[in-house]
Amino acid sequence: MSTTATRVIVTGDESSRKTLLRKRRPEEVGRPGLRRRERRETLTGYGFLIPWLIGFVGLTVGPMIYSLYLSFTRYDIFSDPTWIGLDNYIRLFTDDPNFIQSSQITLIYVLVGTPITLAAALGVAMLLNFRDKGSGFFRSAFYAPSLIGASVSVAIVWRAMFSNDGPVDSSLSFFGIDLGGWVGNPDLAVPMMILLAVWMFGATMVIFLAGLKQIPKELYEAAEMDGAGAFHRFRAVTLPMLSPVIFFNLLLGLIGAFQVFASAYIISNGSGGPAGMTNYITLYLYKRGFSDGQMGYAAAMAWVLLIVVAVIAFILFRTQRSWVHYSGDTR
Amino acid sequence: MFSKKRAITVMAFTAGAAVVLAGCASGGNDAAQPAATFDPDEEVTLDLAFWGNDIRADLYNQAIEAFNEEYPNITVNSTFLAFPEFWEKRQTEAAGKNLPDVMQFDYSYLRQYSQNNLLLDLEPYLGNIIDTEPLPENILDIGVVDGKTTGIATSTNAWGLFTNPKLLETAGVEEFEGGSWEDYSEWIAEVTDGAGGAFWGGSDFSGRIQNLELQLRAEGKDLFDEDGQPGFDEERLAEFWESGADIRENSGIPQQRVEEVVPKGAFDSALTASELTWDNFGAGYLAGLGADYTELGLIEPPITEEGAKDLYLKPSMLHSVSANTEHPEAAATLVDFLVNSPQSGEIFGTNRGLPASETALAAAELDPLSQQVKDYEASIADRLGDAPPVPIVGYGTLEEKFRQIGTELNFGTMTVDEAVSEFFTEMDVVLG
Amino acid sequence: MTTSSFSEAALVQVENQVDPDPKETARPRRVKRKTWQTVIWLVALLAVTAVVLYPLLWLFLSTFKPNSEFGSNMGLLPENFTLENYVKVSEGIAGVPMWRFFANSLLIAVVSVIGTVLSSALAAYAFARVHFKGLGVLFAAMIGTLLLPFHVLIIPQYILFNRLELVDTFIPLLLPKFLATEAFFVFLLVQFIRQMPRDMDEAARIDGAGHVRIFWSIILPLIKPALITCAIFSFIWAWNDFLGPLLYLTSPENYPLPIALRLYNDQSSTSDFGATVTASFLALLPVLLFFLVFQRFLVDGVATQGLKG
Repeated sequence: MSTTATRVIVTGDESSRKTLLRKRRPEEVGRPGLRRRERRETLTGYGFLIPWLIGFVGLTVGPMIYSLYLSFTRYDIFSDPTWIGLDNYIRLFTDDPNFIQSSQITLIYVLVGTPITLAAALGVAMLLNFRDKGSGFFRSAFYAPSLIGASVSVAIVWRAMFSNDGPVDSSLSFFGIDLGGWVGNPDLAVPMMILLAVWMFGATMVIFLAGLKQIPKELYEAAEMDGAGAFHRFRAVTLPMLSPVIFFNLLLGLIGAFQVFASAYIISNGSGGPAGMTNYITLYLYKRGFSDGQMGYAAAMAWVLLIVVAVIAFILFRTQRSWVHYSGDTR
Repeated sequence: MFSKKRAITVMAFTAGAAVVLAGCASGGNDAAQPAATFDPDEEVTLDLAFWGNDIRADLYNQAIEAFNEEYPNITVNSTFLAFPEFWEKRQTEAAGKNLPDVMQFDYSYLRQYSQNNLLLDLEPYLGNIIDTEPLPENILDIGVVDGKTTGIATSTNAWGLFTNPKLLETAGVEEFEGGSWEDYSEWIAEVTDGAGGAFWGGSDFSGRIQNLELQLRAEGKDLFDEDGQPGFDEERLAEFWESGADIRENSGIPQQRVEEVVPKGAFDSALTASELTWDNFGAGYLAGLGADYTELGLIEPPITEEGAKDLYLKPSMLHSVSANTEHPEAAATLVDFLVNSPQSGEIFGTNRGLPASETALAAAELDPLSQQVKDYEASIADRLGDAPPVPIVGYGTLEEKFRQIGTELNFGTMTVDEAVSEFFTEMDVVLG
Repeated sequence: MTTSSFSEAALVQVENQVDPDPKETARPRRVKRKTWQTVIWLVALLAVTAVVLYPLLWLFLSTFKPNSEFGSNMGLLPENFTLENYVKVSEGIAGVPMWRFFANSLLIAVVSVIGTVLSSALAAYAFARVHFKGLGVLFAAMIGTLLLPFHVLIIPQYILFNRLELVDTFIPLLLPKFLATEAFFVFLLVQFIRQMPRDMDEAARIDGAGHVRIFWSIILPLIKPALITCAIFSFIWAWNDFLGPLLYLTSPENYPLPIALRLYNDQSSTSDFGATVTASFLALLPVLLFFLVFQRFLVDGVATQGLKG
């Protein structure tokens, strides 16, 4: 951390300053007062949470538990579910090469695509943060791609970009790399999808930008006065101050990548092709559930996915203490 | 760190969820009690669902208007979606026992919905509310599942071979004169050579399951029988896929090129000069090809065995009524109108395919392409056999899997043996 | 007790210890260096922007291509420039005019924003600032709701709304927004609130304010940038939501844009890609405009954290 000497100045009138700075003595916190305060806090907390609780119990927990139940059944939507115990899960891990392939593809997409998307988003956000000239235009320009939404137009545009002799192919040929059309090439399907995800980094970028703007300029100036170079400023000021936002974007980026569906569905026209290279887990479970009428199996897949993501989220939350710095929490 | 307090909290949530679940669980069946007779003065509202695009939606609006001239007391609320979303929605509605009164229906879903008692048996209305005179016997039989008539075929199509005369001219090759599958392969190679790289003679026919079906029917078997038993074994399937190897490796359009033009197809992007498909796809192809191409050729598919009745008329769509409808007579009336009436024949023309009902067909104004289709179906009359059993549950999935395997064979990412074992595994999963 | 007295009583400023440098003599060199930096920055930015915008430019120009060119002409420019797509799109679908689809989308989006911002802020405040029993469990549960792929939830949810006879209304789409069902926003706000120094909270509490007061008068104004972020995102997500409207809306008059867009494609008859891309492009404009207008508040508002208003 930088060793800038800063002085915290409190302005305002005399009495409130004294009250603010006064430390509470231990004997002031009495037992009865503590319990009463705790209860009041709890009541207030739940009060604030009423809307969320209704939604959580009624619209989320209920269906979640139902889907867990379904994962132990055979259910084709039309007739009632029949209990089959762990059969779905066993089949998933021992008898389904599609699932294995689907998992591999999803993992690659997550582990490669998420860091790239985050890095690109942060890079562009920092670029935009550098000067305020034309900020409105540029921010909107970078955000626009993610606005198209999940429509057939995305498929049309993206396929055109990556077609043989299309813009990407021509640009690469300029540098001597001749890959031909990416579309329909099983080896290049995953990179193409990753690039699509990166192209739609608008939301992530905007959040980074908001986070960057929140860093007081004075910290940078102080660091600069101390003789810190650009890179050192980045490491010592930007990254720590941005860490809550990085954490947020990382967590949600990973979750989102694991759950990627719409773009794959649209680009491959629902098939998961070419050669199953866009058949991510959610697309595969959707096909099994809705097209093949195997909702129980699809539910089992969904829960396996959930557990994997939950484990990763748990790990992230645990490690957060060591690298995420919340300025509101420090004293 | 599993404290008692946490346990209680978790249990409280589970209890709460259970309460919600109890409310969620679908209650008993609400079996509709059909009214005794249809009262033309009764004010009734019907929900009608169909798939299609904006053009078809317009036509339906016109048809409903015409319907209301005859039956002013029946209000029809129509809703429509594109094909994939249409079925997604129907499935969700089926789970909630909330299907619309009248639905445009697809052959591949008929068995599944029928066997799950989601569709009304229209038998009581045949011959009275629903006019059966204009519908040939074999057409009516198409909509029968397990003895119940749950769908009325609205239009039919047959498998055919489309060609692109303009491209053939460019390649300097004559139209395919008919012949065996090998003859067709050779013809494709001829066209590809003549095209000099600008386009190809065709695509690998072994990628479509219907071509396998055609060959099997010529040999006297069905693709799948009523119980889901396949009419082929691993060896036969391997043989079939091998027969397309030449096209895949040499003269057919590379799969990569096909992928690039998705969502269009190779034929309607003028990349291939021929395509085996259902005969009602012609209109879509012409639209996709654009103003430069004004006509298509339509001839019969290659012959496996001389004289075999391997072709058949498949319903390109049917109309069905929900088993939960509150107004079965009114619904049947609407179905009759949409299938048989001259007004609907005139309005829809061949938008839904060639009308199956003679009265509708007579009133339909046939543009050149539709006339061509009609003539084609007349010309193959000798080759038409009985319709196969209504597709088994899961047929759609298998059809799609077959298509995907076909593309992988084309990519070269799979060998024929691998393909065969994968397809048979999928059959076990879907049918087993 | 008013807000201003809070801010007066506990204002925190970070002040630089170093006294102002005599920049006078160094100004000419400083300025030139700054201009150079700006130029390089602008060039880099424009290059990246061009790459990112190219596909959108392609989309825009393809709205002028006739339907038959799709699949054959992959280039940027149409071979046969035409306005027929715009004419077709303006005619609406099956008697429902185009503006109706826009209006439906707008209604859904605006109400979603209001519901989301309100309910998420309430929930986030509870998670971030209130020490209540069960906070850990509920917070984990909230994060947990992000994890399940939505496809598995839609059938039970549909059955529920169907039983309540709310199908073909906007309620199944809007009600969840008022119940903070999108954990993304709650989590986002929690992160931002945790960033806020607690000094003002403490001071306010000393002056006798309860949580409600603190929430309304202190926290909410401070996290305005985050709130605006939530507003922007929830607007856009609601605008582009496809699955919800697909399941719950039946009458074509109620369709929002994403559903209407799909109606130009039908594999069993003809697909009009020209109309599809044109409608997509037109659907893109309102959200883009929305973002253009509101992004200013989002980012510029942040810089005033901790300073006296």
